[in-house]
Amino acid sequence: MEKKPVIISGEINIPYKWSAGLAGSRFFEELCDNKRIMGTKCSKCGRVMIPPRIFCEECFVDTDEWVEVSSRGKLVTFGDCYLSTDGKKLDKPWMLGIIRLDGADGGLVHYIGEAKPDELKIGMRMEAVFKEKREGNILDIMYFRPVDR
Amino acid sequence: MRKRVALVGVGMQKYASRRPDTVEEMVYDVAKKALLDAKLPPQAIDAVVFGSAVDAFCGIHNSDKLIVEASAGLCKPTIRNSTSGSTAVSTPILAYTHVASGLFNVVMVICYEKMSENPAPQMVFNTVYDEAFVRQIGLNVPIQCGLEARAYLHRYGITELQMAKVSVKNHTNALFNPYAQLGMNITVEDVLNAPYISWPVKRLDTSPTTDGARALIFASEDVVRDITDDPIWVKGIGRGADSCWFMGRRNNDLGRLDYAYLAAKQAYEMAGIRNPAEEIDVAEVYDPFTFKEMQHCEALGLCPEGGAGWMIDEGISLKDGKLPVNPSGGLLGEGNPIGAGMSRLSWAYLQVRGDAGDCQVPKDVNTAVANAWGGMYQYNAVMVIGRD
Repeated sequence: MEKKPVIISGEINIPYKWSAGLAGSRFFEELCDNKRIMGTKCSKCGRVMIPPRIFCEECFVDTDEWVEVSSRGKLVTFGDCYLSTDGKKLDKPWMLGIIRLDGADGGLVHYIGEAKPDELKIGMRMEAVFKEKREGNILDIMYFRPVDR
Repeated sequence: MRKRVALVGVGMQKYASRRPDTVEEMVYDVAKKALLDAKLPPQAIDAVVFGSAVDAFCGIHNSDKLIVEASAGLCKPTIRNSTSGSTAVSTPILAYTHVASGLFNVVMVICYEKMSENPAPQMVFNTVYDEAFVRQIGLNVPIQCGLEARAYLHRYGITELQMAKVSVKNHTNALFNPYAQLGMNITVEDVLNAPYISWPVKRLDTSPTTDGARALIFASEDVVRDITDDPIWVKGIGRGADSCWFMGRRNNDLGRLDYAYLAAKQAYEMAGIRNPAEEIDVAEVYDPFTFKEMQHCEALGLCPEGGAGWMIDEGISLKDGKLPVNPSGGLLGEGNPIGAGMSRLSWAYLQVRGDAGDCQVPKDVNTAVANAWGGMYQYNAVMVIGRD
């Protein structure tokens, strides 16, 4: 165990082009073109799914109805981190939260902005801030910020 | 009619942040030791079940193909299983079902992970997220555990001090584990003063990245008496899987692990256990973070729901407590090679046998439970083992 092994160095770089899927494509088109957050509704149980799916995972039936949900919602939980995702140490933490959107049975995980960690509370009201120049991905929402502080 | 299945052998090896051997060499080491332990020749193995969570750690995809020979699996049926971190118990469950089906008498199960081949395992973890809705936001393991831990503390009033006590317990227990990577004499002050990863999780609330493997051998009731006079039976198994979209599912309060309660219920019903807090003698619980041990103690019924803080405050889960949890040191102290977290079940088996050495708990052990967790706050797998 003490002996150092011979090291063979290498690298694996593989590019991808991911499909956003049938439901995801509609979601991102609406977000990009109309600043609308759209979910799919299950005609059987009535749940409105965010993120949207083409099926209800509980009833296991197709969801063919799209409904607009609010860009506001409730903070379910949040996290702050002094390490960036590429491993750099940060002076100011970045923050993520899970926001359950009004009119939906689900929500989004997204950045939290315009707030410090000690100003946040589980259950507080949040709203999405949209980018001016949108490209059709989840980053068309810039972040969620607290409402009515 | 399903066959009863017993554990008859185990192969352990040192966990380390960097082992010099290859995946194949690591696997040969534990396979050989498991055969020695069971006093079986390699020819006695009818089939081999592999488990490993993420190939990108070792950098060779479909890495099970590397270890056919090293596992006594040459020219035999082999299969590989992967359910993220819960691979650590879902894989021995797959080995169990191989034998319980009556199709195989003796099955080797090997779980392995070599995380150090990639010098930045966190970069590998960053690739496990859904691309459209999650990964672009930059979710990573530190903040992922912060989201969950905050929800858990908020829901049940658990404290950072109680988390710190779990860290001290497991790191101290690991001092007595010859295979452990991170045994340490630490105090709650050390844990509380460690830098935050993501509130409330601090560096000493987390487990290290690890290289290592474990092997277990399962045998059918039809042949077990030829192998051992003291079979340790698989009493119950259970698994639960929730939606990958943790932010979209019905229970998106990450504080309560519905899927883990479900897995435990299945395993206990099968084992005929009604009151796990009284009937389980020792538990090896999946603890990549301190609060995960606490959530799992609750889901496994080792304490009341929300009672994991009380459990550690009262010393119930200490090595000499009423219901010891992770006397091996757990993933926090022994090391956390994701899929090879099967070490939890391996230690549970050694405890029931009475062969846990300096980790042996000072009480009679007849029944033990082990679990594993993984995915997007998503999977749990549970196995209960014991003597008749």
